[in-house]
Amino acid sequence: MTDVVASEWLKVRTVRSTFWLLAATAAVFVIGCVVSVMMVADWDSAPPGDQASFGSADMSVMVLPFMMFSLGALGALAITAEYGSGMIRPALVSVPKRLRLLTAKAVVVGVIGLAAGLVLSSAMLFAVDVIVGDRPAPIAAWPSISDGVPYVLASSVTVMVVALVGLGLGTAIRSAAGSLVTMTVLLYVLPVAVFFLPASWSTNLSAVLLLNLPHQLAGDLPGMPLSQAGAAAALAAYVVLALGAAAVSIGKRDA
Amino acid sequence: MCPERIAATVDVVIEVRELTKRYGATVAVDRLSFTVEPGYVTGFLGPNGAGKSTTMRMILGLDRPTEGEALVNGSRYAVSKRPMNEVGALLDASAVHGGRTAVNHLRCLARSNGIGDARVAAVLDEVGLREVAGRRVGGFSLGMRQRLGIAAALLGDPGVVLFDEPVNGLDPEGIRWIRDLMRALAHEGRTVLVSSHLMSEMALTADRVLVVGRGSLIADTSIAELAEQYRKDVFVRTGADADLARLLRSEGARVDEVPGGGLAVAGMSSPRISELAFAAGILPHELTPRSASLEDAYLDITDDAVEYRAQGGSR
Repeated sequence: MTDVVASEWLKVRTVRSTFWLLAATAAVFVIGCVVSVMMVADWDSAPPGDQASFGSADMSVMVLPFMMFSLGALGALAITAEYGSGMIRPALVSVPKRLRLLTAKAVVVGVIGLAAGLVLSSAMLFAVDVIVGDRPAPIAAWPSISDGVPYVLASSVTVMVVALVGLGLGTAIRSAAGSLVTMTVLLYVLPVAVFFLPASWSTNLSAVLLLNLPHQLAGDLPGMPLSQAGAAAALAAYVVLALGAAAVSIGKRDA
Repeated sequence: MCPERIAATVDVVIEVRELTKRYGATVAVDRLSFTVEPGYVTGFLGPNGAGKSTTMRMILGLDRPTEGEALVNGSRYAVSKRPMNEVGALLDASAVHGGRTAVNHLRCLARSNGIGDARVAAVLDEVGLREVAGRRVGGFSLGMRQRLGIAAALLGDPGVVLFDEPVNGLDPEGIRWIRDLMRALAHEGRTVLVSSHLMSEMALTADRVLVVGRGSLIADTSIAELAEQYRKDVFVRTGADADLARLLRSEGARVDEVPGGGLAVAGMSSPRISELAFAAGILPHELTPRSASLEDAYLDITDDAVEYRAQGGSR
């Protein structure tokens, strides 16, 4: 199993798409820093009455959805690149036990998702802390930097889950385009669609959407629909559903 | 594995039993049964669409048979404990990620079976790709991809190799190289199954051919038998075979007596045979030119299959 994981790690490292997806995420982080700086500058020049109506300078609102998509795409490409090129066949001749191949991919994709999530979420926390300085709420997202740690951890776990959902979708759908469209629907279209549903449905459904889970998992905002345990269960359900579908698909269908 | 089991399977490395693959109403492989033994190059021959690739994929556990089974060393390959050491396969040479370099492509496959970089370098050397090892596979010609695919198949030093149409895209030097390689692998006691739609290629490489058409086995024979059966000669039957044989031999023909009566005469045209028989006062009862090359033999035995499939396709 270690050998297969090592092989999958090498596969991810030796394609350019991995580099580009991570580089694009880093680029969006830089843009997020610029936006935060501009918000803070705006705040400084606003009259005290208007300052109270500002949102926080937390760039994660903008950067995190993009990071989720990038890592979801990385997860999907980890297998759709093989189905697309036909490389899946030599891969399965080398590792005929299919669930072993899928598990190794899940380990690699999950670790990369979690690591990228931790690095970037921490970077965002520190960057916002530096940019905001000693300005008070509402422009400051957290009273002190340590108050942001649960959110960093929750965001990282969610990014890992999205990466695994990407792998699951890629395995079940097999095409890169199809997987990325489905990923887009999950991350960006559903939140809008849910908005048009009756209020009771809307609240319940939007609570379990991937974009809304980090704060609920961190439990750092008042009045969230899900408890931390509930958010954790929702994330676990995403992983079980996506990888379950992947396991059935890779196990039953011809390669 | 118990000793009896080893003894029972030692001479049959690949065993295909009643293997069937249907896609909806289309039958790609139809109750195919054969065995492949070590030490020989076994050609897997048939027209395009005869089910050769599908059969190979089922042997490798990539496609699930609708019925029947395919065993490698007595068990399904899908449960193999040392896969790359058991079987090496070249299926579709273009099935590689174009963004990876040749050496990284091989390292990815090798690593999954705990095979080190030294072996990767060795197979790159063996297939003649050392100079381009650091180049991206996307820029490779089909011939270079075939060599890369063969390198991948050899990584685990496998006891069984399966090559699907390996000469496609190779230049004459490459074709000779792979021919020699396959013969060498068989000579080392490995089991070599190679598919082709070209009889001429198999005639130079294989010891034995399995001919398939429409997913069924049409012939399972050695190249020598096939050549014997379909060689280019003239079949003559007379009332005085022995006399005519002596006469024709003295004129330089190669004459074999056919069991059951008649002579197989090679190296002489039928008009000349008829002239000599006439001059000697021997009456030929039958005089039939038999002009079948191996290619003709192959076309002959696959003819029905091809015809039937064309009709089936127009339904």
